Amino acid sequence: MVYWLSPSFSSKGVYELAKKTALFICRCGTNIASVVDIEELVDRFSKREDLVVVEDLHLCGDEGLRKIEEVLRNQEVDRVVVAGCTDRLHGELFKSVVERAGLNPGFLKIANIREQCSWVHWMDSERATEKAASLIEMALEAVEHSSETRKAKVPVVRRVLVIGGGVAGITAATNLADAGFEVYLVEKSGFIGGHMAKWDKLFPTFDCSMCILGPLMSELAHKPNVKILALSEVVEVWGSPGNYFARIRVKPRYVDEEKCDGCDRCLDVCPVEVPDEYNYGIGFRKAIVKPFPEAIPIAPYIDMENCIGCQSCVGICEPQAISFEQREMEIVERFGAIIVATGYKPFDPTPLAEYGYGRYANVITAPELERLIHPGGPTEGVLARPSDGRVPKSVCFIQCVGSRSDRPVSRPYCSRVCCTYAMKEAMQIKMSWPDTQVYIIYIDLRAFGKGHEELYRKAAEAGIVFIRGGVEVQEIPESKNLLLRVEDTLSGRVLEIEAELVVLSVGIDHNPDNEQLASVLRIPLDENGFFSEAHPKLRPSDTVRKGIFVAGTCQGPKDINDTVAHAGLAALRCAAFLSEPEVEVELLSPTYDPSQCHKCLLCVRSCDFQAISYQEGKIAVDDLACAGCGACVSVCPTGALELPYINDAEVFAALEAALKNRNERPLVVGFLCNWCGYAAADNAGVKRIPYPTNIRIIKVPCTARINPLFILKAFSLGADGVAVIGCYENDCHYRGGFRKAKSMVNSVKKLLEAIGLDERRLLIESVSASEGEKFAKLISDFIAQLAELGPLGSELGGGGDERSV
Amino acid sequence: MAGVIRCGCMSITQSVVKAEDLDLSFAKTLEQLGIERVLTCMQCGTCTASCPSGRYAAYRTRLVLRKVLLGLREEILSDPDLWLCTTCYNCQERCPRRIDVVDLIIVLRNMAFATGHARERHVQISRFFVETGHLVPINEENMKKRRELGLSEKPPTTHSFPKALEEVKALASYFGFDKIVLGER
Amino acid sequence: MPNRYPGIELATRIVMKNLGIELVDMEGASCCPAPGAFGPADLFTWRVLGARNLSIAEKKGVDVLTVCNGCYKTLYEVNQDLKSDPELRERVNEVLRPLGYEYNGTIRVRHIAEYLHRDYGVEKLRGAVKKPLEGIKVAVHYGCHLMRPKLRRELGDSERPHLLEDIIEATGAECVEYKDMMICCGAGGGVRSYDLALSLTLTHTKIKNATEAGADCMVNVCPFCHLQLDRGQAELKEQWGVYYGLPILHYSQLLGLAMGIPPKMLGFEAHYVPVDSFLEKLKGII
Repeated sequence: MVYWLSPSFSSKGVYELAKKTALFICRCGTNIASVVDIEELVDRFSKREDLVVVEDLHLCGDEGLRKIEEVLRNQEVDRVVVAGCTDRLHGELFKSVVERAGLNPGFLKIANIREQCSWVHWMDSERATEKAASLIEMALEAVEHSSETRKAKVPVVRRVLVIGGGVAGITAATNLADAGFEVYLVEKSGFIGGHMAKWDKLFPTFDCSMCILGPLMSELAHKPNVKILALSEVVEVWGSPGNYFARIRVKPRYVDEEKCDGCDRCLDVCPVEVPDEYNYGIGFRKAIVKPFPEAIPIAPYIDMENCIGCQSCVGICEPQAISFEQREMEIVERFGAIIVATGYKPFDPTPLAEYGYGRYANVITAPELERLIHPGGPTEGVLARPSDGRVPKSVCFIQCVGSRSDRPVSRPYCSRVCCTYAMKEAMQIKMSWPDTQVYIIYIDLRAFGKGHEELYRKAAEAGIVFIRGGVEVQEIPESKNLLLRVEDTLSGRVLEIEAELVVLSVGIDHNPDNEQLASVLRIPLDENGFFSEAHPKLRPSDTVRKGIFVAGTCQGPKDINDTVAHAGLAALRCAAFLSEPEVEVELLSPTYDPSQCHKCLLCVRSCDFQAISYQEGKIAVDDLACAGCGACVSVCPTGALELPYINDAEVFAALEAALKNRNERPLVVGFLCNWCGYAAADNAGVKRIPYPTNIRIIKVPCTARINPLFILKAFSLGADGVAVIGCYENDCHYRGGFRKAKSMVNSVKKLLEAIGLDERRLLIESVSASEGEKFAKLISDFIAQLAELGPLGSELGGGGDERSV
Repeated sequence: MAGVIRCGCMSITQSVVKAEDLDLSFAKTLEQLGIERVLTCMQCGTCTASCPSGRYAAYRTRLVLRKVLLGLREEILSDPDLWLCTTCYNCQERCPRRIDVVDLIIVLRNMAFATGHARERHVQISRFFVETGHLVPINEENMKKRRELGLSEKPPTTHSFPKALEEVKALASYFGFDKIVLGER
Repeated sequence: MPNRYPGIELATRIVMKNLGIELVDMEGASCCPAPGAFGPADLFTWRVLGARNLSIAEKKGVDVLTVCNGCYKTLYEVNQDLKSDPELRERVNEVLRPLGYEYNGTIRVRHIAEYLHRDYGVEKLRGAVKKPLEGIKVAVHYGCHLMRPKLRRELGDSERPHLLEDIIEATGAECVEYKDMMICCGAGGGVRSYDLALSLTLTHTKIKNATEAGADCMVNVCPFCHLQLDRGQAELKEQWGVYYGLPILHYSQLLGLAMGIPPKMLGFEAHYVPVDSFLEKLKGII
């Protein structure tokens, strides 16, 4: 009854005698070749008559790609294996070249001999070469059984969802609207404009921020094909590229946007005053809120938490726009593509107690200073220091606060904007209050953008004192001035500066909402919490998911110039993607054979996406709604469901190949989910963190794809251990996938115990994509533990004969 | 202000240093001894700015790090300023690269002891320990005070237990530590 | 329990007895040995000797309590290092075993301030105070090694901690903020004996700032800081001709006063800076 063991699956069918498999081995410059003995691999595989073996310096380069195409066109080849870097990097590229050569891309497999071999086993060339050979053999066996990629043409929805209404989102939305697409701009707060709307003047040219942003916002609001949804959040996204579905939660505004004419008289009559979070708690706002006159939407919103229900606003409102009846609602809409533009959060310096932020009244952050010197800010542009409202006679900027630091509460990267904004703010102070002495205490001054160096020069000429050094801050209790002690590292002198105001140049921190959104969109974050781009140089606005793009600082620190450029690229990439009337999508859905189905409906229950349904006595698979996790296939007891893009037979074939030569003990099979487990293994590679060679990794889309029989098969073939590594339960890219895998693994553990095997041979763990260190440690520890347990079967008293299982 | 305030400027006696005379593996050696991330120092000077000794003396913590990175090994180990750190940990708490600066200085002082660069006063204190089991041994005055206060004349430490003192001496001699401090000095 | 200031030892013994906490002597213990003066000589020997002291407590089956930041640093950190590094522990034990000692990692090391704050409890402490020291202004001196390095402690932030303020305020006294309050007393790291002038400069900064902030006394939790702050004032008078006369109290002594223990049982006679005027101030209270 175990049908996959039937001999038909171990042959290549009708092509067997006629066709060969092409094996391309990439040296990746010296990245692979300096560790893995490429000549040895070529030698070894060239002996096989069913293979055409080709090696190259850089398969991903133009030359390399041409070589692949040529071989595929001119040789009798029907299967392809590329041994090189992770398929998460160039998988799509190689697929496209295979397709161009006339082969179905489903017949391509990639053996990852870089991230998961040469980059982690650099200390032992010999074993790395053996492992590379083994990985290639696994791919060769698997590709024999691989199925055609199924594609379908679906009409493209010419509507784009832009998430985030800062300058990035506004730019992207404007560009797309101009190109004729319909755009939904979803903004979490009450108004669009983002951080940029808060700044007074912009570096390096001192142009007024609102003067350039205001018209842009108003123009956008008037476009007929743009819908701005403020106080809104995207809570769920499903579907496929060109055809996404999004559920958007819209909070009540209590002011009818259609009726409101933006007279703002309600703001005058509201009697409530609460600290104004828009100004970082400086000054007060009303319970009916509109932080600046140019705000879009022009209608204010009512903050119900603080509203006392006095109805003063209702009384004054001529168009009768106030509407307390509004309720929260949800919109579900279809979108062809999505642009993420959720921006950043200024770094919170409170945990860096040595600067005294939050403890010393006259220590403020640069964004707070912006509000203080903004004519529309809480002090109407007067630089009033918090303790007594006086204009300070001396101001010290401290750079790199929260940036470039390995301390647990800080961020390791350079935030790119602080040097220049500090110089800009310093000059603004100097221009308005020439008697105020301004110091900038920096570590390295990075003025690298167009016009930035010139600004540096102007600042020096204006008499801003630049001090290269580190600093400690203490409050002088009586005056509330700050005593700064600085080493001017260039002279080696320790200076004491009594400053009346200290400005912390805080960096760009990731938006804390990113984590939630990443899991909604199923796109990865980097180790600092920003969204990962598909390629740092070539595809900086793309993500790993087709039809989802990133714009602006949600991808990493940027100034406004770079943000706008990045957002423009995202819009262009988006428009290009949507320019075809139909999009060809790779179907990740299972095939269904009704003749084998017993209608147990386990599959229907296992699906988190309502993609399998049971209607009128029939099982129906919705190809577009399916996310491709494979949970249904693993629970199907009869084999009626099969997942063509990673079918059971290819996994079994890979297992056979992996465990054929067990010259390494203990030997472990790892089933790693594409999003976190496999990505973390790649991350360990990128960071060159070594771990033992004794593991053979099989990539699955989700740990829920793992059929319990995969694990049992691995043990029956003599694996000493099996590791199942997926996402953290709450980060699962297929909602409940990891949870399902966990319960499956627990059942298998019981089964192992029942037949006398130590359940510790089966490991299930979570990692995130950036936890290369954790992954490497996990594997090292697991292998060490297995070494202690002895070879498989030791616990049965059979002296470790794996065949006794 | 009263007191001893020293000039913060550095001496300029050094002549040209030949690159081949630098011990460029020095920082690596220290990392192997457990002082992680030394090589990541970006010379920001937060350590010096936080240093109470550095306010009043020529001691510059940042320069110790710089010389470690450059491998000016002899110069560091023989520098009298190495002994001006009060081990207050201000620098270590604030270092943006999370370098264990004080621990580094203690390891450097270990090296100075081992290579005969330790300051006489430090050697003397350690000598007290090897001889009495205490860095601050009990003295007549102290014992008198204890009697007056109604405490035992000697505390229940190595002072009261000669066998315990022998043990301490044995431990100190185990690694030849006693020789370093009792030695020819 | 350091040799300096037997009054601190006496005060601690009495106070703890009155709080109902039994102290067990570690017979045959040596100096911890001092981290700033001995650690620099040889770290491994420092650990071995620290481990010997710990194993004396282990044999008795009791946790270690220190009244000194230096002892705390040595014993706490050696304990932690040896607990987390089995290889190091083995190397240390190899040396200790021939003498009949073995370190097993079975006990905890706590500072008296930490113990009173976390284990005994600030509320309970307040309850033990019979004569609240109302109107007394205390300048707090943490010393360096109680809170630092924070990544190797579990006592929270070290830039502006609140642990000592909590237990001092439990006595009814008021803590005053003063400039540079977290600065070192000047004694640590062997600087007191190596460069007395420099160490006194730091002491001077501290005492001057505290005096200017109107403190009636300065409270510490470390006999070495105590020495530097107390005797240092005598030395400042002698060498610089400046004198502040700010009484220096170890926390045990302050708590003793608040618990109604007669001053003569708290060992103030041994101080260089007389505490008479301070006690005078307390007349109405104790």
